[in-house]
Amino acid sequence: MDLERLREIIQIVEETGISEVEIEQDGLRIVVRANPTGVSHQVVAAPVAAAPVSTSIESSSDSATTEQAAAEPAGTQVRAPIVGTFYRAASPDATPFVAVGDRINPGDVLCIIEAMKLMNEIEAEVSGTVTAVLVENASPIEFDQPLFIIEPS
Amino acid sequence: MIQKVLIANRGEIALRIIRTCHEMGLKTVAVFSTADRDSLHVRFADEAVCIGPPPGRDSYLRPDRIIAAAEVTGAQAIHPGYGFLAENADFSAICEDHDIKFIGPAPSTIRMMGDKSFAKNTMRNAGVPVVPGSDDVVKSGPIGKRVALETGFPVIIKASAGGGGRGMRIAWTEDEFESQYAVAKAEAESAFGNGDLYVEKFITGPRHIEIQVLGDGKGSVIHFGERECSIQRRHQKLIEESPSPVVDEALRAKMGAAAIAGAEAVNYEGAGTVEFLLDDQQNFYFMEMNTRIQVEHPVTEEVTDCDLVEYQIRVAMGESVKERDIPIEGHAIECRINAEDPFRNFSPSPGTVSTFHPSGGHGVRVDTHVYAGYQIPPYYDSMIAKLIAKGRTRDLAIRKMLRALDEFVIEGVKTTIPFHLQLLADEKFQAGSFDTGFLDTFELKPPEE
Repeated sequence: MDLERLREIIQIVEETGISEVEIEQDGLRIVVRANPTGVSHQVVAAPVAAAPVSTSIESSSDSATTEQAAAEPAGTQVRAPIVGTFYRAASPDATPFVAVGDRINPGDVLCIIEAMKLMNEIEAEVSGTVTAVLVENASPIEFDQPLFIIEPS
Repeated sequence: MIQKVLIANRGEIALRIIRTCHEMGLKTVAVFSTADRDSLHVRFADEAVCIGPPPGRDSYLRPDRIIAAAEVTGAQAIHPGYGFLAENADFSAICEDHDIKFIGPAPSTIRMMGDKSFAKNTMRNAGVPVVPGSDDVVKSGPIGKRVALETGFPVIIKASAGGGGRGMRIAWTEDEFESQYAVAKAEAESAFGNGDLYVEKFITGPRHIEIQVLGDGKGSVIHFGERECSIQRRHQKLIEESPSPVVDEALRAKMGAAAIAGAEAVNYEGAGTVEFLLDDQQNFYFMEMNTRIQVEHPVTEEVTDCDLVEYQIRVAMGESVKERDIPIEGHAIECRINAEDPFRNFSPSPGTVSTFHPSGGHGVRVDTHVYAGYQIPPYYDSMIAKLIAKGRTRDLAIRKMLRALDEFVIEGVKTTIPFHLQLLADEKFQAGSFDTGFLDTFELKPPEE
């Protein structure tokens, strides 16, 4: 197994999005595993008894996420920039800022996140259509939590 | 009433605090940055709230996000751990403003002890010995010399704006004071753009000895004996032990009384540590006070059979501290295991820990947040485990530690375990004869191929 071949394998994993490649050859077993955050180049080389060349490629990483993607509407996620309580409207009796199907422009207020007695207005950064509201009114939310899906247009 | 505690920290100390909370029947909330999503403290806590991206300044150092997390989860108290916001007086005050109990001292106490010269004066007024010298900057060579004569030689001439060992000169006798003063001034001006100097007694053969205290904020303070922390590399502690091989009962009583006097003078609430320098004549001098739980608290816990985190929480709940002597039994040593390569000048070794099998057995304690498959984030410090060994005597504790270091398996990253093995086997270390300069001359043997 030379360095060039190893580089090729790592590249293949990166480019095709497969999750794992395992190769046994000439008494050497190499496993290259991809990370959600990028290929980790975690190469485990373990000597094994000499065996014929065999390769097994798993494409399991995407099956779970494609399922999820099918259930979730298309578009970009709006994620919480702070920690607090999520409110869909300016007050309990008011109409929500946005609903599914609404067209929005950059700067439009999508929701309020209350933190430390302050009401923070969260504004849209893209123009498009709201395709999903992911959090219930008055729920606690954490940093980076997905709140809305906007289909850009 | 405190029923739910938010831990404003990460890593091994967050786990440590969560463990005691669960033993006490308290609910726990972990906060984490996106880099710590798979961290053990997140898994073990009852609830967890993501508070920001990886950098500390955008997450663990954000009082607003931490308070918001306490609000949405209904936590009544926040334990700050060590580092991050643990000694941030403003954070202690913000908690107060939001009716959240900060598990630690009052904001004013943190502020007072954080100001080094204020702390020194407070201690001096409480009758605690402090390092003699100029209280402030010396305006000229002749004035400096006068201070030096009053203090007694040798003295150290230090840059006020200094650090990293620069702008410091030792004058062993009166004759060389003026020239050393001039050199120090020139160095300080060039390194820090500020030639201000002060003069202090130079402690020969200094050992770093610290006393663990606990106060209830109602006037009662007790101490738990000392920790010997002289094994330091660039002012970072690597090995700590309790008791110190050079502190006998009489000295312990004196240092303990001094630490208590200092803590009582500021009506201290919570766990704290009073640091002293001990010279080779058994004289001790106040250095500074840390108003938090410390990394090396386990060695005190092992020889006093106390849970210091539990005491912190109980004091925060309003319990009074009963004044009493705490008996010390046996000897405990702690090795801080870092993801660093000791043979490459301790350069950090980030990456994924592929195998992790901690030591165990009689007298061995491991405080760690690491597990097999864990990816060490590059954003925080490199400590991956604290290995603590306790024996009936110091020799037995050393033997146990050597055995425990030998069987600790960590693969995938380089660690300082080989360094600790050499250090624990060193003659001088085993004899207990070392001071804070020990590691400057310690020679690490290269790894066997």
